[in-house]
Amino acid sequence: MSERLTKQSRLRRRPASAVLLVALLLAGGPTLAHKLRVFAFADGARIEGSAYFAGGGKAAGTRIVVKDAAGRTVAELTPAADGSFSYMAKAPVDHLIVAESGDGHRAEWKVSAGELASGFAADNEGSHLQIATPADPGTPAPGTGTVTSSRPAPHDAGVDPALEAAVERAVARQIRPLREELIAAQDAYRLQDILGGVGYIFGVAGLALWWRARRFGSRR
Amino acid sequence: MAHIPDGVVTAPVLVTGAAVSAGLLGMALRRLDFDRLPQAAVLSAAFFVASLITIPLGPSSVHLLLNGLMGLLLGWTALPALFVALVLQAAFFGFGGVLVLGVNTMNMALPALACAALLRPMLPRLAPGALFWIGAAAGALGVLMTAALVALSLGLSGEPFLPAARVVAIIYAPLALVEAFIAGTVVTFLHRVDPELLLQDEASRV
Repeated sequence: MSERLTKQSRLRRRPASAVLLVALLLAGGPTLAHKLRVFAFADGARIEGSAYFAGGGKAAGTRIVVKDAAGRTVAELTPAADGSFSYMAKAPVDHLIVAESGDGHRAEWKVSAGELASGFAADNEGSHLQIATPADPGTPAPGTGTVTSSRPAPHDAGVDPALEAAVERAVARQIRPLREELIAAQDAYRLQDILGGVGYIFGVAGLALWWRARRFGSRR
Repeated sequence: MAHIPDGVVTAPVLVTGAAVSAGLLGMALRRLDFDRLPQAAVLSAAFFVASLITIPLGPSSVHLLLNGLMGLLLGWTALPALFVALVLQAAFFGFGGVLVLGVNTMNMALPALACAALLRPMLPRLAPGALFWIGAAAGALGVLMTAALVALSLGLSGEPFLPAARVVAIIYAPLALVEAFIAGTVVTFLHRVDPELLLQDEASRV
């Protein structure tokens, strides 16, 4: 019994492990992380994107697979040294970009048909109009007026489709940095997440000890 | 890497991983050594945080695993510690999928148990100078066995096995060296400041 007690008392003073944990926490910093991510935006008909490890550098050695709306593989790309890649879309349909690192990391990104529409406006006006304004240009306007109120239907106003495509492209180019920043903000792991996780771990350990104390009673 | 996301491994692998992990966890909870729980919580937290420090390496990026060290220090108690940390990594950071939690737990837990079974009994008998090498062996064994299990999980899921295994081997071999050094240092450090930590308890023997 006395032997047991000395073991107990010795086990109780344990600052060493805590020092270790604090050192790891300080060495880590709050922003580095470990997950393969891929994103891509359309610039006209060209899909440009980048693959990277969230917080951990560019993913140059990954394999990028481009799939169309039906799930067929239309292209396999190898990204450049900085993880960037580009692909000329053949049709304005949904594209799924899949990145795989070969060791079990995998990430996906969807480029929607609407994003690619402006790239196909010049040679395929019909499909462009359908995508740019959801309403059929032939029908009277009252129902659609509220949806596209900020921009008159090109059919009515007689806006040059090529001009509109150029505007769409320019806007896409302008908001691209914003979208990239948004993705970066989602990738950043915040200190409260880390502390929350550590707190959960100690909470679970505390619950287990409490449960045991309830069940077996105090040793004393 | 050790965090396999959803949609990579196939259903039979998922079911096997879940069954093995559930079985091992059940056994671990029955043998749980409550005196080791505070220590397990600290190591679990270290494991949880270690995955945030990554280094780009080859086509992938790596971080310390620490599962060998946990097995060496905790025995069976390493299992709940690993499992809780993996659940929280998936919940907070999106590392690894939810469905593949069983596979990921199995890939981390089996090497930890191997270290506990092979290396842990040697701890009390050894001279302090040899402790570094026991820790180093645990670190390297944990990483290399996890690498083998990850490659196996991917290979059984239809990923071309040899390329996957090659990528995994390239990535994990340097990591094994780093982890061996760190685990050895930790064990030596613990022996100096608190040798009781390295004592073997009957209850948690594997």
